[in-house]
Amino acid sequence: METLDIALPRMALLYGLCLLPWLLLRLMGLRLSRDIAISILRMSIQLALVGIYLKMLFELNHPWLNGLWILVMLLVADLSILRRAGLKARYFLLATFAAIASSIVFSTAYLVILVIQPTHFYDARYIVPLAGMILGNCLQGNVIALERFYSALRKNENEYTTFLMLGATRWEAVRPYFREAVKAAINPAIASMATMGLVSLPGMMTGQILGGSEPWLAVKYQIAIMICIFTSTTLACIINLKLSLNIAFNAFDVLRDEVIQQGPFK
Amino acid sequence: MPPIIRFDRVSVTAHEKTILSDVSFTLLPGEKAVLCGKSGSGKSSILKTLLGLHTIASGTVYFQEQALTPTSAQAIRNCAAYIGQEPILGADSVREALLLPFQFKAHQGHRPSEAQLVEVLQRLQLTADMLKRTSSRISGGEKQRIALARGLLLGKKLYLLDEVTSALDEKSKQAVFEVFADPELTVLSVSHDPEWLARCSIVFELEAGRLAQVGRYGNT
Repeated sequence: METLDIALPRMALLYGLCLLPWLLLRLMGLRLSRDIAISILRMSIQLALVGIYLKMLFELNHPWLNGLWILVMLLVADLSILRRAGLKARYFLLATFAAIASSIVFSTAYLVILVIQPTHFYDARYIVPLAGMILGNCLQGNVIALERFYSALRKNENEYTTFLMLGATRWEAVRPYFREAVKAAINPAIASMATMGLVSLPGMMTGQILGGSEPWLAVKYQIAIMICIFTSTTLACIINLKLSLNIAFNAFDVLRDEVIQQGPFK
Repeated sequence: MPPIIRFDRVSVTAHEKTILSDVSFTLLPGEKAVLCGKSGSGKSSILKTLLGLHTIASGTVYFQEQALTPTSAQAIRNCAAYIGQEPILGADSVREALLLPFQFKAHQGHRPSEAQLVEVLQRLQLTADMLKRTSSRISGGEKQRIALARGLLLGKKLYLLDEVTSALDEKSKQAVFEVFADPELTVLSVSHDPEWLARCSIVFELEAGRLAQVGRYGNT
């Protein structure tokens, strides 16, 4: 079953749909026209470029090229996590990269090599979209984990110091905030699994059905991706927070001010 | 007798501002000292520097004649109790707060008995009922005494007290004075309370991060 193409005139018709929310927001006095226009333009250009690149990637299907694409995605995700979590990239770049790279490579490899088993494990049709989807969700989790952990530490500085004064090691003193941060980071993935299929039809499954797959096959892939998202988010958050502990504190277990971006974070 | 604490020309800067400048003093085991001075003169910073919470720009802090290093800071923290004006109990109930440090590796296996908990509370004019109370529903003065009780349960010998009598009534204050009458306990405190000052053997007067005056009295 072929997916019906959307011809360019009909794409223009699609963009026209945006006029309705734009008009409503304008009537409400919300001056968001510029933001909306930039966002739609960026989305269109970025996806068009990705489309061109993916087409080339699928045609060549070269293991190094596929690996390079995943590396670029990891680097962009790394910088995005740190910027959104309010931490300075110059200190945490390597630690966050190590955390997300190890967990993404592990869960994608597990899924592709052991579960899906394509002829070539590096097949772009599998590893590129799967790694991308896992990484996208993992990114959200890592932003939450780092942001929650370091803002809790700064907010509860006196409590943390009290724990140290009572004989706690650094790890013992940060453990309550560590647990809360990991819980907050993985909660969306758990909630999402619990309501999957009831509240909304998941994106990947919808995509596969539109692409002509049998619903049952789409369901199996959706389950596989959700389990991988949950696993990689949990692993990456724990590894990321653990590695960051060696960077964010001085030898006296005091949180270093200079590692945190000044501004909204606190 | 070697000093328990020695500051040797210690200067501390934070956020490009000098908070302690060329501070030198010694404190012998069992001595009771008080730091006086205007707000922002560096009194609390001395306590925090000793605990390794401030970065020293120059000079050396010694604890039991060992220069302050990350390892010796851990030893000071294990030996000293720091009690501020509004101590953090770090647990939901008073019982959990008193037992909290015994969950840490450093104190595992030394968990006090119920009788010891009650006894230490009574020493500080608190009743056994206090154990069941919720930490968020107790007064500042009670929190200070619970933090002190926790230090006593840990067998701490050095007490760093920041305005510890500020929220206490007369009876509780007397109980605290009695605890610190113990010649084995060393105290370095920050206070403006004349009664507390009268019970200290050394008064350090601070002015804009400098030690302006030291008064030694014979009432240790």
